[in-house]
Amino acid sequence: MKKDDSDELIIANKKIAFQHQEKENRAAELIIANKELLFLNEEKEKRAEELAIANKELLFQNAEKENRAAELVIANKELAFQNEEKEKRAKELITANRELKKAEDEVRQLNDELEQKVAERTAQLESVNKELESFSYSVSHDLRAPIRAINGYTKILVEDYEAVIDEDGLKILQSIINNSKKMGELIDDLLAFSKLGRKQVTVSNIDMLDLVDQVKEEVLLEGHENRPEFNITELPNAKGDKSLIKQVWINLISNAIKYSRHKEKTAIEIGAYEEDDHIVYFVKDGGAGFDMQYYDKLFGVFQRLHSQEEFEGTGIGLAIVHRIVQRHQGKVWAESTLDEGSCFYFSLLNVNH
Amino acid sequence: MNYHNIEILFVEDSADDAALTIRALKKGGVTNKLHHVINGAEALDFLYCKGEFATRSDQEFPKLILLDLKMPKISGLQVLEKIKSDPNLKSIPVVMLTSSNEGPDIEKCFALGANSYIVKPVDSDNFFKTVKEIGLYWLVLSQPAH
Repeated sequence: MKKDDSDELIIANKKIAFQHQEKENRAAELIIANKELLFLNEEKEKRAEELAIANKELLFQNAEKENRAAELVIANKELAFQNEEKEKRAKELITANRELKKAEDEVRQLNDELEQKVAERTAQLESVNKELESFSYSVSHDLRAPIRAINGYTKILVEDYEAVIDEDGLKILQSIINNSKKMGELIDDLLAFSKLGRKQVTVSNIDMLDLVDQVKEEVLLEGHENRPEFNITELPNAKGDKSLIKQVWINLISNAIKYSRHKEKTAIEIGAYEEDDHIVYFVKDGGAGFDMQYYDKLFGVFQRLHSQEEFEGTGIGLAIVHRIVQRHQGKVWAESTLDEGSCFYFSLLNVNH
Repeated sequence: MNYHNIEILFVEDSADDAALTIRALKKGGVTNKLHHVINGAEALDFLYCKGEFATRSDQEFPKLILLDLKMPKISGLQVLEKIKSDPNLKSIPVVMLTSSNEGPDIEKCFALGANSYIVKPVDSDNFFKTVKEIGLYWLVLSQPAH
């Protein structure tokens, strides 16, 4: 072999060796590159997986959003419906208010009409009352005058012509005098009774014990054969017209005295008890009493259960008691045993009522 | 007619009431000279010396006037008002006589200055007694106004 050739071979070998080295280097690099590629791929897959999860999440969120949107749409619809309802309700309220106003106006008008009617009726009643008053006035004036003349002239006959009139004649004249006097009393009583119906009842709290004491003193002043003995227990106060209730006591106590006249003594018991919202007062005597069989006549005007000879009177006293108590929305009643005595009751509203 | 020295002027439209009243006064010892007129117009004529009474002396005044309340035309109330608003007459005592204590006139009478107010009782005993008392009280017990 030629040197040149061997040189050339050495060079060529060296070249090959280098090339091998290069190739090996390259291979090693490739391995590394491959490894990196593998790693990158792995990373990409991981990322893709993550993306897939994220996508799913996104999808879910979208679905949620859609759901929410749908709900919002429904809620909006509901709201719109409610608004409509509210408007409707508002309109209804306006209508209702208008109707209420109208109804109020009608009520007001009715009230006005009613008030006017009441005023008219009151005026009518007042005019009727005035007529009654002037009627009473005429009755008392015009009826009393002729009776007074009859009574007076008869009296003159008795006084001045006694000598020329015989005993029977004088008896007749005395009857005329008695009857005309009686008629005068009846007229006065009738007037007093009719006045009661017209009298205004002025209600106040009455100190009943004080009032009964007053009446007792007044009655005792009149003087009686049997001085009456009073047994007065506690008397609660009541509501009423003092002057009218005083009249009730006067009439009841005077009666108790009058009808005890034929008894040995006059014992009068006065008391009271509470019953519901009323107070019941009573006046009890041990006098002549009356037959309960005629009870329905007891409180009638000009009704009498005794003869004039037995006990004088016009029969107005208890009618007045009845009228007064009635005007106080109270009740009046009585119990009696003939010849043993009577008890008269009347009720008035309790002051606490 | 002689209207001299008349002490009681009696104004009453009812002849019966007048007769009974005059009798009661006399029986009760009230013998003062009395003149009876039958209505308010005559009463005013008497007091003011007019008409029938033109000859009466206007310097003489009755000591007492008994005045019925209810009379036709000029009522007792009107006569009373006239008397009590006249300075020359207002000191004469005026006793109102009436048949009843009904009606709104009692208060009016006192408001106008009536000195007394008597309801004529039906019972003649009471009537005589009342009239007698009026006469005695105003003519004997009271100091004369003139």
